[in-house]
Amino acid sequence: MKAKMRSARKKWLTVSLFLLPSMLGFTVFLLIPVIISLYLGFTNYSGGFTLDFIGLDNFYNAIGNHNFRNALWITVKFAVCSVFFQILLGFCFAVLLNGRTAANRFYRMIVFLPVILSQVAVSLIFMLILNPQKGPINSFLISLGLAPRPWLAGAGSALGTIIAVTIWQSFGYYTVLFLGGLQTINLELYEAAAIDGAGGWQRIRHVTMPLLSPTTFFALIISIINAFKVFDQVFIMTGGQWGGGPAGSTTVLVFDIYRNAFQYFKMGYASAEATILLIFILIITIIQYRGQNKWVNYDRL
Amino acid sequence: MKRDKIYRLLSHGALIFTSLLIIMPLLVMISSAFKNEMEIFDYPMKLIPNIMHLDNFVQLYKKFPLYIFNSFKVTFMIMTIQILTASAAAYAFSKITWKGREAIFLLYIGSVMIPVQVPIIPQFIIIRHLGLYDSHFALIVLGSFTAFGTFLLRQHFLTIPDSLLEEARINGASEFYIFSRIMLPLARPSLAVLAIFSFRYFWNDFFTPMIYLTTENLKTIPLGMSDFVTQYAIYYGPQMAACLISIIPVAAVFFAAQEFFVQGITGIKD
Repeated sequence: MKAKMRSARKKWLTVSLFLLPSMLGFTVFLLIPVIISLYLGFTNYSGGFTLDFIGLDNFYNAIGNHNFRNALWITVKFAVCSVFFQILLGFCFAVLLNGRTAANRFYRMIVFLPVILSQVAVSLIFMLILNPQKGPINSFLISLGLAPRPWLAGAGSALGTIIAVTIWQSFGYYTVLFLGGLQTINLELYEAAAIDGAGGWQRIRHVTMPLLSPTTFFALIISIINAFKVFDQVFIMTGGQWGGGPAGSTTVLVFDIYRNAFQYFKMGYASAEATILLIFILIITIIQYRGQNKWVNYDRL
Repeated sequence: MKRDKIYRLLSHGALIFTSLLIIMPLLVMISSAFKNEMEIFDYPMKLIPNIMHLDNFVQLYKKFPLYIFNSFKVTFMIMTIQILTASAAAYAFSKITWKGREAIFLLYIGSVMIPVQVPIIPQFIIIRHLGLYDSHFALIVLGSFTAFGTFLLRQHFLTIPDSLLEEARINGASEFYIFSRIMLPLARPSLAVLAIFSFRYFWNDFFTPMIYLTTENLKTIPLGMSDFVTQYAIYYGPQMAACLISIIPVAAVFFAAQEFFVQGITGIKD
């Protein structure tokens, strides 16, 4: 009995030692901060040593605030567009590049290349290319007799430009994700479908798409989470901490949180915004999990 | 058969077009790094400049060697720490059975969903109270754990048969011995995947250094590059030279170990 207890205690000690290095950082720098952040949302904390509990005031203020609603709306637009195109392009290119030929291997490398680059570098490159006065894209448009566009400098075009650059940089990630999914599909299914007289599109529609639905589901979750985190591109491409786009047209929620917390020191209010962001992501993820049995197919014939 | 040919032609066309769309901006960056300010916006654009100017790189020499050093230092330290912490945790989550294992693992993995900006304010306060603000230690302690990496390694550890470990256990080997002498050597490929992912992430990371570093001498490359956008006069040549420098290490790792990137994303080995 005693020996058993001693061995149980020894096991706990071993497990604790293995977990300690990770869990220490996780607890101190993530778990506790998230909990404190939830609390700060109910206070008027401004970075000093005092704070007062002010109930739901921050949340009411945020919901009534034009900047916040604007930021939320821009984030939703960003998320819908970027998620849709990343997954669509990712899927299409995976289907095109599925097959072990030398050409495919080369294309895969090209498509994945932007994924590894830093968002700061990519942003700077596109700021040069899309320079409204003298950038090569506008010079090209003028040489075709078309009107130059303001790109990042226009209130109507800045968000679309940032979305396009984001898609440019990250659809390769989803291509690789879908390629991984395609490798698990049994090739005999295509042959069977072909024998039944299914054409190319029908094979994609009735074999590839249902069998890839678990990958699509995963891609959807990842891309939505990433879309709600967007910050670097907005910060760099619209001029740093005082940026946010012409007339605030690219001020996504995370940028607004950053500015309220670290420029205006409205940390309580910014925490409330962060809480709303977290609730948003949570709700979307739960809806996706609930909805998955309608379209995600886990049967692996 | 004719339709097949058209399909093949279309798909090749689409692929070539997309490849150009991806490569052209990168070529513009590389060639602009070697041009003088006037030549960068010449139209039609010359991909190979008449004279190779190294001026843009010379202009970076005051600050960037230190930024590069800082980036390497911080990235390598975080990478090493993450491999150690994630492999130890992955071992406890896959090869030792204990009560509450699955629940704690789920809690840990679930944290991946939380945007980095949600805990940022309390994190900032904690870092400041620990006296780590404006030091590389701030970045290192914040990067000391990785739920994604732990998940990745655990997936691989699960595929290694328990029988290999049981034998050692029966012979009286301690868990630490089994972990360091049996598991880690067997897990080398997945450790490489994690190393590459950490390297890429922290080499490129901008948000955390921006929040925690203010001293000029401590800046990492992305942070140093972001200074360009708030400068009064904009010079594109040095910017592109800095971009080129910043992508060389990741690009080198990518070309040398492409299959590891793919493995990290899909969890599938070729």
